Amino acid sequence: MKKMSKKFLALGLSLIMVLSMAACGNSSDSQQPASQPAQESEPAKEETPEAAPSEDASDAEAESTGDAAGADQNASITLWTYPIGNWGDSATVDSLIASFNQQYPGISVTVEYLDYTNGDDQVNTAIEGGQAPDIVMEGPERLVANWGSRGLMVDLSDLFATEAGGEIYDSVESACKSPDGKYYEYPLCMVAHCMAINQTMFEAADAMQYLDAENHTWTTENFLKAVQAVYDSGQENVAAIYCSGQGGDQGTRAIINNLYSSTFTNAEHTAYTADTPENIKALETLYAQDGINFDASINGGEEITLFRNGTLAMSFCWNAAQQTNADNSAAGTTNNGDTILPMLFPSDDGKTELCGGIWGFGVFDNGDQAKIDAAKTFIDFICNNPDQVKESVKASTYFPVRPTLTGIYDGMEIADTMDVFSTYFMPSMGDYYQVVPGWAEARTEWWNMLQRIGTGGDVATEVSTFVTNANTAANAGN
Amino acid sequence: MAKSSNMTSRSKALVRRETRSAYLFLLPNMIFFIGFVIIPMILCIYTSFFDSTMGKDAKDVFIGFQNYIELWKDPIFVRSLKNTFVIVIVSVPVVCIFSLWVSALIYKLKGPILSTFRCVFYLPVVTGSVAVTVVWKWMFNNYYGIFNYVGKGLGLVDKNINWLGDEKYALWCIILILLTTSVGQPIVLYVSALGNVDTSLVEASEVDGATNLQQFWKIKWPLIMPTTLYILVITTINSFQCFALIQLLTSGGPNHSTDTVMYYIYYTAFKLYRYGYGNAMGVVLAIFIALLSAVQFKLAKEK
Amino acid sequence: MNSGVKRTSVYKIVTMIILVILAILFAFPLYWIVTGAFKTAASINATTPDWFPKEWVMDNFKKLFSRQTAPLWELAVPFGSKFSADGKPIVFFAGPVVPAAIRWLVNTVFMSVMAMVLTCITAAMAGYALAKKRFRGQQLLFTLIVCAMALPKQVILIPLLREMSALSLYNTIWAVIFPTVGWPFGVFLMKQFSEGVPGEMLEAARIDGAGEAKTFIDIVLPMIKPGIGALAIFTFINSWNDYFMQLIMLNSTSKLTISLGIAKLQAENSTDFGLIMAGASLAAIPIIAIFIAFQKYFTQGIAMGAVKG
Repeated sequence: MKKMSKKFLALGLSLIMVLSMAACGNSSDSQQPASQPAQESEPAKEETPEAAPSEDASDAEAESTGDAAGADQNASITLWTYPIGNWGDSATVDSLIASFNQQYPGISVTVEYLDYTNGDDQVNTAIEGGQAPDIVMEGPERLVANWGSRGLMVDLSDLFATEAGGEIYDSVESACKSPDGKYYEYPLCMVAHCMAINQTMFEAADAMQYLDAENHTWTTENFLKAVQAVYDSGQENVAAIYCSGQGGDQGTRAIINNLYSSTFTNAEHTAYTADTPENIKALETLYAQDGINFDASINGGEEITLFRNGTLAMSFCWNAAQQTNADNSAAGTTNNGDTILPMLFPSDDGKTELCGGIWGFGVFDNGDQAKIDAAKTFIDFICNNPDQVKESVKASTYFPVRPTLTGIYDGMEIADTMDVFSTYFMPSMGDYYQVVPGWAEARTEWWNMLQRIGTGGDVATEVSTFVTNANTAANAGN
Repeated sequence: MAKSSNMTSRSKALVRRETRSAYLFLLPNMIFFIGFVIIPMILCIYTSFFDSTMGKDAKDVFIGFQNYIELWKDPIFVRSLKNTFVIVIVSVPVVCIFSLWVSALIYKLKGPILSTFRCVFYLPVVTGSVAVTVVWKWMFNNYYGIFNYVGKGLGLVDKNINWLGDEKYALWCIILILLTTSVGQPIVLYVSALGNVDTSLVEASEVDGATNLQQFWKIKWPLIMPTTLYILVITTINSFQCFALIQLLTSGGPNHSTDTVMYYIYYTAFKLYRYGYGNAMGVVLAIFIALLSAVQFKLAKEK
Repeated sequence: MNSGVKRTSVYKIVTMIILVILAILFAFPLYWIVTGAFKTAASINATTPDWFPKEWVMDNFKKLFSRQTAPLWELAVPFGSKFSADGKPIVFFAGPVVPAAIRWLVNTVFMSVMAMVLTCITAAMAGYALAKKRFRGQQLLFTLIVCAMALPKQVILIPLLREMSALSLYNTIWAVIFPTVGWPFGVFLMKQFSEGVPGEMLEAARIDGAGEAKTFIDIVLPMIKPGIGALAIFTFINSWNDYFMQLIMLNSTSKLTISLGIAKLQAENSTDFGLIMAGASLAAIPIIAIFIAFQKYFTQGIAMGAVKG
């Protein structure tokens, strides 16, 4: 009897194993599609929830504004987004996808949210795992210079050939173009990255005299005086050259390049030329300055948190979306209510070159034409549909890439702030150099270099090591 | 082995039956072992001779031993190899000694007190490596971590120390966390091993006037030797597997001072896209570890 | 004599105090996780830490649970995505929609239990064969097992990733389970235990005409049961704590494990320690509860490992 029961137990166990193996043996993503909020009440109907009844499809077709052919597209695609404004927030993205699905009910979009710490690794493992996302939302430094140059992306020239595509600023368009003339990104929005100061702390330290609050500018000399003044007023940590990883590294590049007006790459975007005497001087100055720490334990995002909670008096990782962010406190203030004043990076020649951020969509070539077409349909809808694009840009809290799109933030609380940014900051947008070959490796080398300098390495030597390694990667990429 | 002398007496059929049944018993495990350990290992060795990268049109180029030659010229690899061995060489003996010391103190205590102690020291193990890591990250925080607060309060540090952002401290911080998550199991093992030591032997030695220390070395230590060896093996395995700590706390920084070979392989593969090079590192590490295991096992066998 | 006694008792008291301090230090991270999860944002970021939450709030948990959602479980047709019309897996049975963090717990439990069961079954069989059978390649196999035992999985990261992709297992929980099962430590442990099974008993069973399977189930298994217990606990805890394989093999929200989920929380909200601690306590508390409830079995099981190991 006992033996019998044991046998049954064994049989049962193996049966369960086989069943559960079968049960979970699916390979691709079976996540709840973000497009189906109705699902919450009917979870059991997972299979093909997007194959909406045909009358819905025809309704949508009747309503759709011209691109009716796409309405009967049937595919399921994945969209991976980096936290670009509210494009990292599932509620916002769900509503954008819901409006897409009203017109294209046959295309289901599943979203995954990446972060700037591990996001790249996640995409890279997925590529090696054979399950790259269909669409990824980020900037040219990843889409064009990295994955695009490795032949993993689909050429999006046809999107640029549309009427809306023709309106895109030339500088933005050229950033999305690879050296071989293909477009691996279709841009949606852009911003000029700047810095910010805690005005309340500056006032307390009597440091406001060093800057032009009206025009948001200051000179290098005054910047250093201001840092010293704030430090002397008892603020031990004024600013941090954060370098635990690549997150927010545009800020460290911008402060260093602007301080004595140098550049990061050559004008042709073929080589890294950061080893100029000006850059070396900038690094030495920052290293020697009281109150500025090279902090290898934080990245850009963490620096922002420290700035917001009053630990730091300055952030080098700022932009319009940060200024209007009201997650923890009223927009434009720190957690304890201090006023945040966005500033241009200091420059010795009075001409600041801000690092631009351009964000848009790229399509991975997963070998399935239906998915590629569906992905393009999605991008076209989000970026080009006149009824939709303003919402899409608004979700990013950045600026449109086409001059014809105006008044996006009209009537909103943040309209004034956005106006300040477009008046005082966007015109200072500098060269978009993040498309030099080997960019992914170069930025890794960059934060490594900052760490070495922070731990007492000789600046000139370390900078030249950086340039050598970065250029090796650039040449290998060619 | 199948032809050893005592088998000649048996019929060939029996041998064949035995061999077949042995293979059948081995089969389920071998599917996993060969499929997910041996085959990848062979592929790893194979790819290590190629210049291999990510990309649609990227073709692997055969470059012979170049990856291996480059390894020894790569200061970061040498540093990470050093760090790996520092971690293992420090943590293995410290774990053993610390857990033996704690166990020796607690194994005679009353039941509930004993199990409370055992439970507390085991807590970091069951808390989960990632949960433990994130709380330590917070405690080590430069600006509002508890270590700087307590350190300043007690006058041990006069200025906030950037524990994880300073080359001088980062690796030791990691080793410290690793230690707290490693001693739980050895303590449980030692407590039970010490509890199993025959009391009559101990009493006899007391009559002979042996001191506590003599008692320990002459009687208890040999008896708990198998436990010690087992602990050495699992602690070595554990120390080599430490990845979450490094990835989540420092990502190998600052300035590669906490890079281990395990992390550097990951870094090389997914930040620098050099698969062949990463695999070459893997092969070198595997050789070191295999040698170490073989030595350990040999020692264990002799005892 | 008297002073000697005094000295030993002083020594005892001092060591006891040290021990208690150590115990407090060991328990402190867990205490900090749990209290941190209930602290307000202001309290979390205070430069003067609150040793005990002044005010207990559920904000962090609310935040954690208001993030993404996922069905509690999903059963799908194996490899369904290969032949379904839209390239999606064919899910035939999905659970109610819950906060993703709960799903991560479910995934982690499933993964750890599956790894444990598969490892115990296969390793017990293989260990027995290695200890009690003679066959061609035995020495080679055993050497391989010993050498591979301490091998970190990072070594085979890239080939394993490509292999899983080729087998269409990438981004499934099986991609994490299978390599765990293949890890040879279990076989090694089971071999050590099986060696204690007396050969005469096996011989007697054979003479009685018992088949191989019967001998194994009726004679070997009961004798190595303590070893299986030790291995089960070891495997369960190891796969619960494992992070690397999960990081490499899993990527969609509904596939994550709790470790991976917390790591992702940390990357996304790098300094929102309240939220991270909420995630961490969600991960830690269930397993600690299990541990405390079954402490006796745990410690016995673990200790068993050493007797033969």
